[in-house]
Amino acid sequence: MTVVNKWSPGHVIMWLVLLVCAAVSVFPFYWMLNGTTLNPNDVLRGLLVPGGDFVSNWRQATTTYNLPLFFTNSLLIALITVLFGVVINAMAAFGFEKYRSRARDRVFGILLLTLILPQIAIVVPLFRLFSFLHLLNTRAAIVLPSIMSVFIIFFLRQNFKLFPTEIMEAARVDGASELSILVRIVAPSMRASFASAAIYMFIAQWNSYLWPLITILKDTMKTLPIAMSSIMNAYTIQYGALMVIVCVSTLPVLILFLTMQKQFVAGLLGSVK
Amino acid sequence: MVQRGAYERYVNRFGWFCVAPSVLFFSVFMAYPILSSLYYVTRRWKGMSNTFIGLGNFVRMARDNVFQAALTHNFIFMIIQVPIMIFLALLLAVLLNQGIRRFRGALRLAIFLPSVTSLVVVSVLFRVLLQTNGFLNNVLLSGHLISSPIGWLNDAFWAKVTIIMAITWRWTGYNMVFFLVGLQSLDTQIFEAAEVDGASKVRQFFTITVPLLVPIILFSAVTSTSGTMQLIDEPNILTFQGGPANETMTAALYIYRQAFYVNFDFGYATAMSYVVVIISGILAFIQLRLLGGERSAK
Amino acid sequence: MKKGLVTALALVLFLALVPAVFAQQKITVWCWDPNFNVYAMKQAAIVYNKTHADVTIEVVDMAQDIEAKISAGLQAGGAGLPDIALFQDFRIEQFIHDYPDAFVDLKAAGIDYSKFAAYKVGPMTVGSKIYGIPFDTGSTGLWLRTDYLKTAGLNPDNYAGKNMKWSDVVKLGVAVKAKTGKPLLAYQSDNFDMLRIVVQSTGGQFFKPDGSLNLRSEAFEKSIGLFKELNDKGLLYSVVGWSDWINAINSDQSAGFLNAIWMVGTVKSRPENAGKYMIVPTPLIEGVKGASNASNNGGSSWYVFSSSPNKALAVDFLKSVWATATPDTLAFYNTILKGAGAMGTFLPSQSGSNYTARDEFFYKSQPVFKDFATWMAKVPVLKYTPNYQPMRDAVAHAVLKYFQGKLTSVDDTIAAAEAEYKQVMGQ
Repeated sequence: MTVVNKWSPGHVIMWLVLLVCAAVSVFPFYWMLNGTTLNPNDVLRGLLVPGGDFVSNWRQATTTYNLPLFFTNSLLIALITVLFGVVINAMAAFGFEKYRSRARDRVFGILLLTLILPQIAIVVPLFRLFSFLHLLNTRAAIVLPSIMSVFIIFFLRQNFKLFPTEIMEAARVDGASELSILVRIVAPSMRASFASAAIYMFIAQWNSYLWPLITILKDTMKTLPIAMSSIMNAYTIQYGALMVIVCVSTLPVLILFLTMQKQFVAGLLGSVK
Repeated sequence: MVQRGAYERYVNRFGWFCVAPSVLFFSVFMAYPILSSLYYVTRRWKGMSNTFIGLGNFVRMARDNVFQAALTHNFIFMIIQVPIMIFLALLLAVLLNQGIRRFRGALRLAIFLPSVTSLVVVSVLFRVLLQTNGFLNNVLLSGHLISSPIGWLNDAFWAKVTIIMAITWRWTGYNMVFFLVGLQSLDTQIFEAAEVDGASKVRQFFTITVPLLVPIILFSAVTSTSGTMQLIDEPNILTFQGGPANETMTAALYIYRQAFYVNFDFGYATAMSYVVVIISGILAFIQLRLLGGERSAK
Repeated sequence: MKKGLVTALALVLFLALVPAVFAQQKITVWCWDPNFNVYAMKQAAIVYNKTHADVTIEVVDMAQDIEAKISAGLQAGGAGLPDIALFQDFRIEQFIHDYPDAFVDLKAAGIDYSKFAAYKVGPMTVGSKIYGIPFDTGSTGLWLRTDYLKTAGLNPDNYAGKNMKWSDVVKLGVAVKAKTGKPLLAYQSDNFDMLRIVVQSTGGQFFKPDGSLNLRSEAFEKSIGLFKELNDKGLLYSVVGWSDWINAINSDQSAGFLNAIWMVGTVKSRPENAGKYMIVPTPLIEGVKGASNASNNGGSSWYVFSSSPNKALAVDFLKSVWATATPDTLAFYNTILKGAGAMGTFLPSQSGSNYTARDEFFYKSQPVFKDFATWMAKVPVLKYTPNYQPMRDAVAHAVLKYFQGKLTSVDDTIAAAEAEYKQVMGQ
């Protein structure tokens, strides 16, 4: 590697750019955390030192704004989506990658085309479909359309590419059924990829906005993003309590990411290649 | 490799078995809506009834200034935000990868952090920070950088800047990680050779790094462009439903409002979404051609 | 593992799809404004629970999502809808028009409409059917902060009850701004209610009798001109968004505002406002025939959904508390008047003591409700039509652009509003 003069102008500028970008990136998080301790007016003004209102904000968020309900809704929906999603998408990726056939490749091609399809294009027919099935305002309405994800199938396919087919061949020679090959040999060694996919799907569903906005009609079904959006439309916004909700909404994803950083990046690495 | 006949059929069946559930979900929740949208596109919806109007929805679109303005806003955001963000992400990735040695992990984490937030959270945070009497204005005023508060949320120009700022804040780190991954797979010998030849860092950046990273830049560009075409969360929450006075209205938001807020005219909303899809398709195609054509064989 | 998956699947489907089995005796009400409608409905619930202790009445504050959620529910054939919902009078015609069978015909259910103010019954009537229970009036006034007037060297008593012209108000505003730095009126720039108050006070209409748009009236042009003047002289404190408007008022950013009686609840919710507010008649625009010192903003009514499983119970609740005169119900109307400024349009209730009493919360214990009631009698009726909402948005956008200098004349502003209205309506 090259040796750089420690305090050359280039070096200084470089550090400046990096630090400024890092600071700008992190600041709203600090502000959001700090906001949970301030009263509404101070949150608006942007006071940077902590105040003493955390307890009252927390109480307001959990009683007036019913935070536990929204959290539970979001969690339940995200977990169910991930559970079904990983299984179904992984199976599909496996099928598309390791069982190549002209027909299946064509099907995959069609699936790929929908990657650029904006979500807004299908929300109207989807809304009418769920309305017809009397499934509006249910968790099923939010979960079902999110289970299959072409992006995840694509991502997992890239990872399955790296799995040596020879091992499968060897197992076949030994007389193992295809299903047992999938379950007992392939799946265990793909755990890291599945974990990445699971994290990605969890985060996507946890933060999902447009479709829940359309299907959720009653307060009791609201997820965190919808709840926050509603609060912004309310008569008076209790900013302190709002900050508590924002933090609760962001922390799980943050923790998930921090603990799973390696898998996440490894997964990205695989898909890019 | 595989024997013909019964075994081959068994394997093939298993392949379909694996793929079937996802294809089922796809058919019900993706293919069916797409197909049934054809029904909506030629109808005008009012309340519980609808009438067939042929291409009337498209005629209406041609006269709909608000929709056209919304599309223009999408383009403005795209043309300004995407290049800035990609350049910034690339620059940060290079600086982190080749410029510094200490604190790499911490800085990378810091810059990536915004990507864990939901777009709703971004909108909420920025909306509160950018109020007329909010934090940013207070800082600028006390630093004597401006003499009167900037209407970040209620001025036609600044509202657009606000949206661009929010998107850039949210996505730069995300794209930066992709570039970092790509950079790490580059052969350092090329850079060493260039260094020996006397090429400056800047020159190396433009003539070596960028061309080699074109596949990732393409990926970033396509996804970011597709993202700006679908922009809905931010204009809805951050700038109060496309405000002020529709100055940050985007196509997706207008479609949503036509379908679920103002008129419940599903027909018109579907017709507009067709236009959005076609535009997205064309943009993706153009980008693939422009940038994909230069790719070296993988 | 397969078996576990199947059970998990079944459990999940059950969790997700099982419809909530409600307690039999429950009524759900959707409305907005915690200090006003929610408060009023909760008071009504207390009255009803005296005779029907086993009925739970749940009042949900839907804020500004309410119409979107109701529309979505109606589109879905009633899914997720409550039993009773509050609708603003200027919005109900659009809903009745678009969803003819959505509401219960309350006239057929035995409500006596002769006991309600006629102007409220109009928008909810279609042929021989009448759909709602009229609730509050939106009689308006000019709310002034007497403490800022005093700081500016003016005597508030000179203005009490005075029928002013807008030119007088502008002079007042300039004087107050000069000495206190506070703009006279808090103004929500993405909302055209204040403009509408002024137009209506002139007797102007936004729609012609046949329902077509009518923005080229002298009333409208003069109103826009007035606002431009107010804006240019710095007399408007502009905010975006309803909650920020409320916040501006309750954090002393302006020296007053122009709005209706139902702001009483919000103003009273902040103890520091005590003794400071004085309400004077709505100013009038001079030179326009038919102008008066009174106007109306808002006012809503309660409606029962046909899709409700508890509609009989809901109708009984509304009828016995809101539409029948008994000592308890009259006391109820009296309470919500003072507590929130909810001036009902149920005629027998207007004999309540609070209608004439002085209210200590206001400057010099002004009998605000007596004043509002007096003004209400002078309000020119406004024609709404089902297209009121899009017109409202179009006008608000055009006026905002005019203020920001993007449109340079009143004529252009009107043309822009007309154009946007046509596009959104698909004409």
